[in-house]
Amino acid sequence: MKKFLAKRLSGRHSSLWASFLAIILTLITASALLLIMGKNPLVAFQSFLQGCGFLPKANYGGGSGMLSDLFDFLNYLAPLMLAALAFIAGFKTGLFNIGISGQMLISGFLATVLVGYNKELSAVVAKPLVILIGILAGGLVGALVGFLKFRFNIHEVVSTIMINYIISYLTGFFINNNFVNIMTRTSNVCSPASRLTWTNVQIGGVNCKVPLGIVIAVLIAFVVKFLFDKTSFGFELKAVGLNAQCAKYFGVGVGKSIVFSMAISGALAGLAGVTYYLGYTNTIIPKTLVGMGYDSISVALLGNSSPIGAIFASVIVCIFQQGANYMSSRVGVAKEIASLITGIMLLYASCGNYMKMIANSYLRKEMDKSSDRKEEER
Amino acid sequence: MSEYIVEMRHITKRFPGIVANDDVSISIRKGEVYALLGENGAGKSTMMSMLFGMYEPDSGEILINGKPVVFHSSTDATAQSIGMVHQHFKLVDTYTVAENIVLGIEPMERKFGFLPWVDMKKANKEIAELSKKYGLEVNPTDLIGDLQVSVRQRVEILKMLYRKAEIMIFDEPTAVLTPQEIDFLLDIIDGLRKDGKTIILITHKIMEIKRIADRCAILRRGKLIDVKNVAETSVQEMADLMVGHKVSFNQQKAEARFRETILDVDHLTVKNEDNFEVVKDVSFKVRGGEIFAVTGVSGNGQTEIADAVAGLMKIASGTVKLDGKDITNASVRERALSGISYIPEDRHGTGMVLDFTLRDNLALREYFKEPFSHKGILNQEQFQKYAEELIGRYDIRSGQGPATIVRSMSGGNQQKAIVGREIEEKSKLIIFVQPTRGLDIGAIENIHRQILQERDNGAAILLISLELDEIMELADTIGVIYRGELLKIAPAGEMSSHEVGRYMMGVKDA
Repeated sequence: MKKFLAKRLSGRHSSLWASFLAIILTLITASALLLIMGKNPLVAFQSFLQGCGFLPKANYGGGSGMLSDLFDFLNYLAPLMLAALAFIAGFKTGLFNIGISGQMLISGFLATVLVGYNKELSAVVAKPLVILIGILAGGLVGALVGFLKFRFNIHEVVSTIMINYIISYLTGFFINNNFVNIMTRTSNVCSPASRLTWTNVQIGGVNCKVPLGIVIAVLIAFVVKFLFDKTSFGFELKAVGLNAQCAKYFGVGVGKSIVFSMAISGALAGLAGVTYYLGYTNTIIPKTLVGMGYDSISVALLGNSSPIGAIFASVIVCIFQQGANYMSSRVGVAKEIASLITGIMLLYASCGNYMKMIANSYLRKEMDKSSDRKEEER
Repeated sequence: MSEYIVEMRHITKRFPGIVANDDVSISIRKGEVYALLGENGAGKSTMMSMLFGMYEPDSGEILINGKPVVFHSSTDATAQSIGMVHQHFKLVDTYTVAENIVLGIEPMERKFGFLPWVDMKKANKEIAELSKKYGLEVNPTDLIGDLQVSVRQRVEILKMLYRKAEIMIFDEPTAVLTPQEIDFLLDIIDGLRKDGKTIILITHKIMEIKRIADRCAILRRGKLIDVKNVAETSVQEMADLMVGHKVSFNQQKAEARFRETILDVDHLTVKNEDNFEVVKDVSFKVRGGEIFAVTGVSGNGQTEIADAVAGLMKIASGTVKLDGKDITNASVRERALSGISYIPEDRHGTGMVLDFTLRDNLALREYFKEPFSHKGILNQEQFQKYAEELIGRYDIRSGQGPATIVRSMSGGNQQKAIVGREIEEKSKLIIFVQPTRGLDIGAIENIHRQILQERDNGAAILLISLELDEIMELADTIGVIYRGELLKIAPAGEMSSHEVGRYMMGVKDA
């Protein structure tokens, strides 16, 4: 068993196995927590899956079914995947974009105000416009962060946290003054034409919300992969991320790379923002940053900072986040356990390199032992 | 009482992947200068780190004065009167000499019976006396930050003396010194021996061993090859034993054939981040087929000259021309494309991306050109083909060929990769900064041969090195730099290494 794991962790697909192991360890830890609370972990995990439409529930309300749950899941998955890709785009260049929440919020806010409240625009114009505003708003904030880093040497973690607050309070102020719905205390809803999710679509006899964002997200994952694996621009960005001094030495404009990379990261965060605020929720809670911006970091790490890995990792994290409501009502555990599980997963995922290191040294010792044995036999 | 003050018996030490010391036994007599000779990676430093308590041996035992000892830390070793001068000094820049020396064992007293108080006056006095006794010429109240490297080294020696060390380990003590400073240091070591101290000298410079050591242990690849009485052996024999095959000391150097001027540096001034002039009003020319060597004590502005020419540092004033074209304000990429290759001093930090594959690292100068990329899309097959070509041509050895992550390669092969990549550009000017630092003799020979070959092919070579031997062996023209100024430029044949050494110390009329 030990040897089997060690071999997997040091072989060609070591990162994949490290992520896999992180998930298993998370499930074991979560089970232990649930057992301590006196709940059956198997039932809990089953209801997570049921809540996301992967398994059928015992009964459904009128007009909804397993498929509606699955589409709800996709609705939440799309912005999460995009946010994770946003993080990865920066991380490959050595930038830690912790301001994804803020970039999501400013894009969502601007798209809501500029397009969502304009009742005259048709869907064909409104939807592309929303996407464009998302990309531009997020991209500009990202570029600003990159500029601050390159020009004034302000670390991106510091500047993004500050900008998060600025955006949160600024948008909150405008929403509360101009766009608030007195009943819900959140912003007024957007026009259906501008929304990136089609509501009340009848599929197989049940009501579904079909998200456009999930198509964009999967597409973007492959675009990001292409950018970093196949283009000379991506080659330069990776070099800046791993060794900026060397990148400068072989003629890369390091400052330019940082600004571009942050702009790309911000643009993807902006996309995540519009799919979240004009797709999943359709409204903005003032002065509140979504946790998704931070969850995206665990998703990215669980996916080993690979764009394709992020697709799978976001599915796994999303199951816990999205399935938590149903699990909570069925098993009777507060739904905050989803965030707890995500946190545990982040912890194990970030131990991936450590696990690989242990595996390598274990194998080396085994090899020494067997070669010693051979020598003795001789 | 045993005949030997230090005995290390059957010492074996393994690190992941390598055996640093394999069943090595050495015995050192009281009052002798005992040298450990070997190439980089032969296991000399590991051996002494165990004697100084920084590592524990996997097997074997250490005896001091005939009694077995086990060291868990260097504190244990210090308690047994062992001291060590590391290659990189362990001193606090903002403290005075005396404060550094007493650090950790401050002479404490109680003022008014209770107030703890460090008696610096007493420490200063004691240290001044020690310094005088051994001719170290160190002023206890100077700040370390203001002192030259050679003086800092003597502070380290004082530190051992103050701690009453009887056994003193020197790790490559002459690597950073000028010839005059080396003479001075060897005299000090001689004085220490006369005073009855036992000296262990780790070095790969055989001439120094010949001058000062009584006995010499030769290590190769972790194994003890031989122990020689220095008086009864020759430099040639020690060199052969160290390397394991016959060594030729001099490269075959063809007569220089100078061509037209390639690099023309005129009144160059460079400022560092603190706006301090690190290079002051420097002018020189390098012709095709010429090796122009800049030498000086470390930190006198020589690497900044290289960085300024290659475009990594901004030029404050003056001009740099390459083949008649003004490149003073050109970008790094423009300079590289107009014909500058650069082998940087810091091969890990600057020369390569350690987490990239060898294939990617070999393409750093080419990846953006056809056929390596077409309209911004990389052509991986070309990367692979180019890497295979260079690996063959420059004999770059690695675990998995082009797909090897460079971090896992040996220093010598990393340097081969950088040198190969830069030479392959067929540039008009090739800048070498410390091209052989930390490499073993075989690799050094190899790189020296390549430098000479490029020169004979007509390239202009700007060589910057701290190794005076290297400069004397390769240079056609020598420029000596001191505090950012080129004090002297002369054809190599017209200056002896001692003259060069005097200019390195800042003496203008040597």
